[in-house]
Amino acid sequence: MPLYKAPLRDMQFVLKDLLKAEDHYASLQGREEVTPDLMDAILTEGAKFAEEVLAPLNQVGDQQGCTWSEDGVTTPEGFKEAYDQYREAGWTSMSARSEFGGQGLPPSMGLLLSDMIGGANWSWSMYPGLSGSAARVLEVYGNEMQQERYLPKMTEGSWMGTMCLTEPHAGSDVGLSRTKASNNGDGTYNITGTKIFISSGDHDMTENIIHLVLARVEGAPEGTKGISLFLVPKFIAHEDGSLGDRNGVTCGSIEHKMGIKGSATAVLNFDAATGYLIGEENQGLTYMFLMMNTARMGTAMQGLSLGQLAYQGGLEYARERLQMRSLSGPKNPDGPADPIIVHPDVRRMLLTQKALTEGSRAFLYWILMLVDQASHGETEEIQKEADELLHLLTPIAKAFVTETGLEVANYGMQIYGGHGYIGEWGMEQIVRDLRISTLYEGTTGIQALDLLGRKIMGTGGKALMGLTKRIHKFCEAQAGNAAMEEFVAPLAQLNKEWGEITMQIGEKAMQNPDEVGAASVDYLMYSGYIAIAFMWAQMVELAAGGSEGDAFMASKVKTARFYFQRILPRTESHKLSMLSGADNLMALDVDEFAF
Amino acid sequence: MPEYKAPLRDMQFVLHDVFQAETLWSELGLEDVNRELADAILDEAAKISQNLMSPLNRSGDEQGVSWNDTVVTTPDGFPAAYRELAEGGWGALAGDPEYGGQVIPKMLVLLFEEMSYGANMALGLYLSLTSGAALAIASHASEELKSRYLPDMYAGNWAGSMCLTEAHAGTDLGIIRTKAEPQADGSYSITGNKIFITGGEHDLTENIIHLVLAKLPDAPAGSKGISLFLVPKFHVNDDGSLGERNEVSCGSVEHKMGIHASATCVLNFDGAKGYLVGELNRGLAAMFTMMNYERLSVGVQGLGLSSASYQSALDYAQERLQGRSPAGPENRDGPADSLMVHPDVRRMLLTQKAYVEAGRAFAVFVGQQLDTAKFGSGEAQQRSAGLVELLTPIAKAFLTDKGLEATIIGQQVFGGHGYVREWGMEQLVRDTRIAQIYEGANGIQALDLMGRKIASNGGQNMAVLIQEMRDFAAAAEGEIAEFTQPLLDAVTELETLTATVLSAAGDDPHAIGAASVEYLHIAGLTIYAYMWARMAGVALAADQNDAFYAGKLHTARFFMQRLLPQVKSLAESVRAGSAVLMDIPVEAF
Repeated sequence: MPLYKAPLRDMQFVLKDLLKAEDHYASLQGREEVTPDLMDAILTEGAKFAEEVLAPLNQVGDQQGCTWSEDGVTTPEGFKEAYDQYREAGWTSMSARSEFGGQGLPPSMGLLLSDMIGGANWSWSMYPGLSGSAARVLEVYGNEMQQERYLPKMTEGSWMGTMCLTEPHAGSDVGLSRTKASNNGDGTYNITGTKIFISSGDHDMTENIIHLVLARVEGAPEGTKGISLFLVPKFIAHEDGSLGDRNGVTCGSIEHKMGIKGSATAVLNFDAATGYLIGEENQGLTYMFLMMNTARMGTAMQGLSLGQLAYQGGLEYARERLQMRSLSGPKNPDGPADPIIVHPDVRRMLLTQKALTEGSRAFLYWILMLVDQASHGETEEIQKEADELLHLLTPIAKAFVTETGLEVANYGMQIYGGHGYIGEWGMEQIVRDLRISTLYEGTTGIQALDLLGRKIMGTGGKALMGLTKRIHKFCEAQAGNAAMEEFVAPLAQLNKEWGEITMQIGEKAMQNPDEVGAASVDYLMYSGYIAIAFMWAQMVELAAGGSEGDAFMASKVKTARFYFQRILPRTESHKLSMLSGADNLMALDVDEFAF
Repeated sequence: MPEYKAPLRDMQFVLHDVFQAETLWSELGLEDVNRELADAILDEAAKISQNLMSPLNRSGDEQGVSWNDTVVTTPDGFPAAYRELAEGGWGALAGDPEYGGQVIPKMLVLLFEEMSYGANMALGLYLSLTSGAALAIASHASEELKSRYLPDMYAGNWAGSMCLTEAHAGTDLGIIRTKAEPQADGSYSITGNKIFITGGEHDLTENIIHLVLAKLPDAPAGSKGISLFLVPKFHVNDDGSLGERNEVSCGSVEHKMGIHASATCVLNFDGAKGYLVGELNRGLAAMFTMMNYERLSVGVQGLGLSSASYQSALDYAQERLQGRSPAGPENRDGPADSLMVHPDVRRMLLTQKAYVEAGRAFAVFVGQQLDTAKFGSGEAQQRSAGLVELLTPIAKAFLTDKGLEATIIGQQVFGGHGYVREWGMEQLVRDTRIAQIYEGANGIQALDLMGRKIASNGGQNMAVLIQEMRDFAAAAEGEIAEFTQPLLDAVTELETLTATVLSAAGDDPHAIGAASVEYLHIAGLTIYAYMWARMAGVALAADQNDAFYAGKLHTARFFMQRLLPQVKSLAESVRAGSAVLMDIPVEAF
């Protein structure tokens, strides 16, 4: 069973060398400063907690899963104790606002931590992760009473939060939700309805759970414009923070899933539960979007964290497993066979894992810096620019990193041969746990529509231009640098093509609205491969300036070369597929699909 | 929960309209097999897979097999179902008639296999492992062993297993340690531990016949010193009755990602009595006869499960109302439109459909070559034998790689429900996943293809296939050019790359291993293009008002325009060569 090791060297390289974290954190406004020492301390301590406390609970959590009874949900053995330790160490309060007891650090710090704790034990990490997202919504949109009553407890971690969106008939189409809210006239509402797929909807880790629930006030407009957001505590909280009566919300059952078995996925029944309106009526989706962007980045992180774990597992096995001889002569002549890392195809699998994982780390961490800048950047201009890029990149990050993460996890299994299929070796759990990431928080298809429909077409291509200009500038600056030529030339060419293709699809979409959906997923993957190429090119530039004989830096250049030569060509088939148009998808009558 | 429906119309289309099976069977002298019999077998196979096997699929997954002190218990309903399958003769479709087998062509048998796996892969495996063991015995064992064991295996009273892998020896069978000591009575005493033995122990039959790879004490090192032995769980008396228990026992069963109802056993041989099958030190060669059949059968697992996944995803996409068509509401009276209006959902469904239907045609094409190689004569027989060698690794690896892709897409169409067990879609992913690994991991198949099947004979068999595809395209005229032109482009790419890699292999020992997986995929996609062009040819000549044929043409177009372009990306990756893989020192990973 692979036990997670935080890739601290690579994290530091990306943060310090690539993203200039020191300058970044020094420039942020309105948040406590993350000094280099503090960043190191957080990464080191976070790594320790992830490796020592959480990783050992990963397999146990999968085997035991959560159990449901009428009294509530029980999490796997050790989960609650680990959470108590986590809470006591102050991790829940890291990115929370200081006026409610938080440490007030920039949002990126919380997500960096989630990379490590998620790699060690994704199921467990979902509890504090979602709770943090719920708290952020309250920090921004809650009224004074709500903030004072709930945030201190959520910040110190003694209460957790959830997000209740999905209903049985309303998943991607939230506008169809039926949960009702009737105004009691005293500032409270009665919430009635059924929500499904609620992560951490019930559990035994904290004494109270604060649900954020989408519901429709009687008489509200139809569709997404009539949805409001409510705070519904499991136990009603008194003014002094003590717990009162049990509210009318109960967990009807939990799902039996393919993976993330240590995470309780609940059916929640609201039966005239007391709820408190957050913000204004009918603005619920707008508020949720704030948290959804963070939650999408959190989910993107799942592709990275578990991809990292699968790579570590695959690499360890490939170095130890002796099977067959190298075709260029024995490499382990005294042993019965060579380690399988001598075989080109095993290397192809490992390098695919490495190139995608390290490329994704650079990509996601860059976006985390943008998250910070969007709300705490030095100037309004910086904030605006970061915000635009963030909107563009978030759906790419979510869908691309989880889709390629699944590929990385499957290679981890494949390297293990038959052992990969056996539970005790731990590799198949990674695939099962990771599989949810292309589904929840908006499926890949939904992210792709968001990207191409809203973020590209919706801005007339302006948002994309902000990015392609950056890439163009980078390429220009490398002109004449012979060592960079093999990377810069294909990147510059694809960067140009990206804009051209976008124009072509935009023109087609004016004639036929189906063209957007017909191109969207290929477009998103195409964009993702270029974005990762941009990251690799920047890393090569740094590595080329590194000291001779540093294996880490040398491997960066070689991995980049692998990425450019063997992975980046995938853009070509995505391009041809998306440009083939909507007709080959829409021409079939429904009755021509099957017999 | 998905209920399996056998895709009979498409199976008949492939068998009769695309491959003219009846004509071929009569040319091969299989007079007893005609269209009527074939359709009757397909009908019966559909019934038994839908009514008997499919209902036990989810419960089998939830319950799994259990082990208790060497005894393995299969899930509820499995023993009775296995008995019914055996009594129906489903385990003896392709057997030696002298010992009670039936002579049914592989083209047809594999369609039964597709249904059995699509309905319940774990249950289907017990049957196909037994057929595989019987095939090895029929091909290599002595008359005495054949007459003692084959009739009861064909009748389904006894099951079979294949014992190859050991804890330290998976892909590398040359390093196995299981020992065979010659005994005075001509038998051998077998001692050692085998792992990952599918159907190694269970309660479905009264006896289990293990085929075991082992080495004599003085055998040559490596794969040239491996012999094959028949080791029965219970000894068989001269009158066919069961005697004493042999010294083979099940130490444990594995807890796996999927195929929970299939017993994957650790088997301990402790001086068990075994009988040599074939010649000493020729064990691997004997195993390989059966491997071509087994590998195609594993490929068919990828096909069967992706077909099941497609059916369910299509049902769900038609029923699930979510969002509105970008081109304006289609289901005005409902709260939302069905998922079928969304272009991206159609892209997913068509990807499944295009892979499943081309995969079915490809599997039958390989079956045709196996049948011609087995029953044919002269040049045709030799040609097919060469094609079987070439196509087997492609069938195993490409059908299972596409199988995983298709089952993952099926899960994706279901959204969050795809992740929840009761909906059945995630089980298809978990069950399919093993098929990329066992019977030679897909990386091994790719090496077999490029190394043994292409490089070792200068690409001779590949040249035969390429010529066949070119001839087909040349003979086709008119509207079909839309499909034959992209086929020809892919064929040219395949031919060029074959030459490129073979030439690089002259002085680079890693050239083949560096290209092999992508090359196999290019070959697979090109063959699928050939299958789609052939199917489109039949559809163009048929009634276009029939939705079946109209759907075929649209899907062929979809394949050529949206899936075949992968060849270009893969080709570029192959051209990168081996340096980019081999230059990194082990420590630098």
